[in-house]
Amino acid sequence: MQMHGSLGRLADGLARQLLSWLQRRVEPGSREWLDALTAESECADDGWQRLRWALGGVPLVWTINQRRQRNEPTRGTMRALIVPGVANIAAIAGWYAVIIPAIYGATHLFRCHLFFGNEPGGCQEHPFVFSAIAIGGAVLGMIIALALRARFAAYWWAVFAAFNTVGSVWYLRSGIVDLPRYGATQSTMLMAATLGVVLAAIMRETPGTEPDHGPSFLGRHRITAHLIAGMISFAMADALIRMRDRSLVADNVNHYALLGCAMFAAILAGLIRRHHRIPVERPL
Amino acid sequence: MPRLPNTSPQTLRVLALLLESPRSWHYGYALSQLTGLKSGTLYPILLRLADQGWLETRWAEPEQPGRPPRHTYRLTGAGAKTARTKLAEAAPSRMTRRLAPVPGSR
Repeated sequence: MQMHGSLGRLADGLARQLLSWLQRRVEPGSREWLDALTAESECADDGWQRLRWALGGVPLVWTINQRRQRNEPTRGTMRALIVPGVANIAAIAGWYAVIIPAIYGATHLFRCHLFFGNEPGGCQEHPFVFSAIAIGGAVLGMIIALALRARFAAYWWAVFAAFNTVGSVWYLRSGIVDLPRYGATQSTMLMAATLGVVLAAIMRETPGTEPDHGPSFLGRHRITAHLIAGMISFAMADALIRMRDRSLVADNVNHYALLGCAMFAAILAGLIRRHHRIPVERPL
Repeated sequence: MPRLPNTSPQTLRVLALLLESPRSWHYGYALSQLTGLKSGTLYPILLRLADQGWLETRWAEPEQPGRPPRHTYRLTGAGAKTARTKLAEAAPSRMTRRLAPVPGSR
């Protein structure tokens, strides 16, 4: 009975947290319907019923935001789509156009092949040079994307900055003795970094949508929030690699690599700020 | 073939219940209980009906102190008229349950 009561309170708490989180997903001028749903949640008899009711807020918020987008003036919407789109494409494609020739230039300069295996004459004979290009390129790409206010491109380069850094550290530490195994871990590392960035990006609050009672938990404890995002990403990627290839689990280096990628990516993504938009009061 | 607006079984169920007492104000929670629709289905329907001018909305004072104001709904004159037409066109089997008006809302 006591267990049932505790679970009910937990569901109640989750419902309230969910509604509070949903409030932050909607611009202040468009909250009438979500406020209506939130007020009715008080009629629920128990925590589970309230949680079921609160879950209905998810499709409602989606509908509200879709409707708001439809109601925005077309010219403004087109401009709002095109300008960041061009900036993002420029920041991703443009920077690849710099990094790829830089890598080829380095292979020419050091008279080596663009090959990361353990064969003689490959890039691995100049690890610091190619690591510096990989890490520096991604970090510079992130900085340039931020300067262009291209947030998607900044997240993109954050993934590669984390992935390239951890990959380089691994390489410098132990070399790649077993390329097929490294390939599997490499894919999972990339996934961990991507998850870390995506989760950290989702957890960020949109300026102007803070709740009335002050900043939320995420707003007050940003570093903790990003560390949690990193841990969740690590757990997800690690679970995946366990399911796929149990032999990889035996090697602790894989865990450290995944953990490093997920945490570093989440922290980097935490550095990418959302541009402050002045909330516009517009009728739905 | 694309469906006409406001002719989904769920929307018709909401309209049928609102038409039972078109001048009364109804609460969202009661509508959900009586139609059997989940909040995530009901509220987008109410929102769309209000957008189209079929439904008027009002914030009502809470019945218990300390509770937030509640949003209430009723059909507009035009909404009631169009809803009757839509329901007449639809199969009667779609409208299965009855709505009791909110106490003291008249």
